[in-house]
Amino acid sequence: MKKSFISMFLVVSMIMVMLAGCGQKESSSESTKESTTDSASDSTEETKSESSDYTIGFVPMTLNNEYFIAMCNGAQEKADELGVKLEIQAADSHASAADQLTIVENMITSGVNAICIVPSSSEGLETALKKCEEAGILVFNIDTILDESVTSKVSMDIPFYGTDNKAGGQKAGEYVKENFPKGTITAILTGIETQQNSWDRRDGFMDGAGDAIEVVAVQSANWEVDQGYDAAQNIITANPDLQLIYCCNDSMAIGASKAVKEAGLGDQIKIIGFDGASEALNMVKSGEFIGTVAQDPVQMGKLGVENAVKALNGEEVEQYLDTGSSFITADNVDKQIEYITPYIGE
Amino acid sequence: MEKFMKGKKIDVQAFTLYFGGIIILLAFTIICKINGKDFFSVQNIMNIIQQSAIIGITGIGASIVILTGGIDLSVGSVIAFVGISGGLLLKAGVPLPITIIACLIIGMLIGLFNGYFVSVGKVPAFIVTLGSMQIFRGFTKVLTDGKPVSGFEDSLAALTSGKVFGIPALVYYVFILYAIMIFVTLKTKFGRRLYAIGGNPNAAKLSGVKIRKIEISAYAIAGLFFAIGGICLLSRLSYADPNAGSGYEMDAIAATVLGGIALSGGKGKVGNTLVGALVLGILKCGLQILNVATYWQTVIIGVVIILAVYADKANDRKAE
Repeated sequence: MKKSFISMFLVVSMIMVMLAGCGQKESSSESTKESTTDSASDSTEETKSESSDYTIGFVPMTLNNEYFIAMCNGAQEKADELGVKLEIQAADSHASAADQLTIVENMITSGVNAICIVPSSSEGLETALKKCEEAGILVFNIDTILDESVTSKVSMDIPFYGTDNKAGGQKAGEYVKENFPKGTITAILTGIETQQNSWDRRDGFMDGAGDAIEVVAVQSANWEVDQGYDAAQNIITANPDLQLIYCCNDSMAIGASKAVKEAGLGDQIKIIGFDGASEALNMVKSGEFIGTVAQDPVQMGKLGVENAVKALNGEEVEQYLDTGSSFITADNVDKQIEYITPYIGE
Repeated sequence: MEKFMKGKKIDVQAFTLYFGGIIILLAFTIICKINGKDFFSVQNIMNIIQQSAIIGITGIGASIVILTGGIDLSVGSVIAFVGISGGLLLKAGVPLPITIIACLIIGMLIGLFNGYFVSVGKVPAFIVTLGSMQIFRGFTKVLTDGKPVSGFEDSLAALTSGKVFGIPALVYYVFILYAIMIFVTLKTKFGRRLYAIGGNPNAAKLSGVKIRKIEISAYAIAGLFFAIGGICLLSRLSYADPNAGSGYEMDAIAATVLGGIALSGGKGKVGNTLVGALVLGILKCGLQILNVATYWQTVIIGVVIILAVYADKANDRKAE
C-alpha cells in the first residue's frame, strides 16, 4: 500500500519537474517571463504589449530531423523578436495524421490564436482544419502543401509558405548541364515511391539537365542512408562506367557516397544530394558531394510566425510564398554553413 | 486467509490505478489553471476521451488476448488495413453500413488467422502476430501502392463526431463497447473460460474446457475490436492512411498493463484497461497543453507505465 503511494508521488513529482523545466524554457523570451513568473501578481495585463497576447502553435512533421529543427528555431527567433509566445509540438517518432489531429485539438484547448503546421500528409488534416475553423483559429500551411481536396472542405483561407521542389531539382539539373559533358552516365535515387516531392525533385532534375545526362538507372531508396548505400552499390555493379548519382535527399546521397568510396570510384562518380543537411554541407566542403540543393526551412518558420501575427493584427497577408532554394557547391558552401549553423546547433 | 489476501490484492491494483489517475488529473487541472489554461472543462474531457478512444477500443482486444496468456501485435496493421479497405470500398460507392460490416468481417478473419496459428499451429503468439503485423501492413500498401485515400462524404466523419445530447458519438461507442465486454468477461461462461485458460491451462483442459475454441475466439474478438478501432480512426480523420496505427500495438498493450491485466494471463479486469487508456490520454493531453517538449512526454509516459506496474506488484514482492 505504502509503496503504491510512493510510486504515485514519484510520478507526480516527476511531472512537476518537467513542468518546471518547461516554465524555464518559456521564460527565455522576455514577454512571457512576466506571465509565468508573476502570474500570481496582478499586473500581467498591463505589462503585455499588444502582440504578446498572442500564442502561436507550431507543428512540424517531426522533430527527429535537422530540417524541422532549423524550421522551429527560425520560428522561435521570429516569435521572440515579435514578442509572441510559441508552442512547438510534434509527433514523436513517425509522422502521423492521427497524432497531428490530437496535437491540434490540444493546442486549441491550450488557447493558441493561430497554428502553423507542416502536414504529415497532404490530405490527412481535414478534421483538424475543421476544428480550427470552428474554434476561430487561423491556420498557416508550411513546407508541404495541403491538397485542395482538404482545403476546399473549410471556408477559411490557408496561406502556404514553402518551396517548389521541382524548381530545386531544376537548379541541380542546370548545374549539371553547365558543368558536365553531354550524355553523362547518370543514376537517380528517389525517395518513397508515392510521394509527390520525390517525383518533383526527380522530374525537376531531369528537366534542368536535359540531354546532359543519360539516365541508366532510377531506383527508390526510401529516403534512407542504408538503402541508398545498397542501391548505389547495385547500380555501380550493373553500370561500372557510371559518372553521376543524383539523390533526391541527402541521406541517400550519404549512403551512395559510401558505396562509391568503397568501390574506389570516388574520382569517376560524382554525387549530388538534396536538402542541405549539415552533414551533406560538410561533404560538399570536403569534396565528397559536388553539391546539394538547399531549401530554406528557417525562412519558412519565420514567415509562418510573422504572417500569423500580421493576420491576427488584422493585416493582409500573402497567400503563397516560395521561400526558394539554392544549389550549394564548394563555392558557396561556407556561406550556407554559416547561415544554417545557428539554427541547428544547440 | 489466502482468499482474503487475493481480494485485498485486487483492491490495491484498482486503488492504485484510480488514485493515480485522479492525482494526475488533479495535478494537470491545477497546473493548467496556474498557467491560465482550462484543462478540466467539458470540452477538454470530451477531447481526452476521443483521443484515447482508439487505444481504448483496441485495448479491449489486446486485453482479451492477454487474458488467455497470449499477445497480439497486429493491432496497428489491422487498423491500417481496415482503414484502407474501408476507404476504398466507400470510394467505390459501397454504402457506409455495408462497408462497416465488411471491415468488421475483415478484422475477425485476421483474428481467426492469428488464432488458428497460435492455437492449432502451436506457433508462439508473439511470432504469429509479429508475422501478421508485417503481412497486413504490407497488404495495406499493396492495396493502394502506399497511397492514402481521402475525400470522403461528411457522413463518414459524422459516424464518430456526430453529437447525441451534445456528446460526440465516439464517446458513447467507447463506453458501450466496454460495458458489453465487462459483462462478457465477468458474467458469462465464455468469460470465465478466458480466465481459466490464461490462469491455468492444464486445469482448464482437465475440467473439459475446449481450449482451442476459446483461444481462437479470443483472437477473433480481438481482431473485431481492432477493426472497430480502425473504422473509428478512419472516421475521426476522414482519411485513410496506410501508415495509420503504427505503434498502436504498444499503446494498446500499455493501456492493458496499466489497467492491471497480467501479461502472464488469467488475471485482471478488462474495464480497467479503459482507465489505463484514459490515464495515457490524460498524460498526453496535459503534457501537450502545457507545451512540454515532445521527447520528454515519451519519457514521462514510459516512467508512468513502469511505476504503475511496480506499485501493482507491491503485494507480490511482500509475499516473497
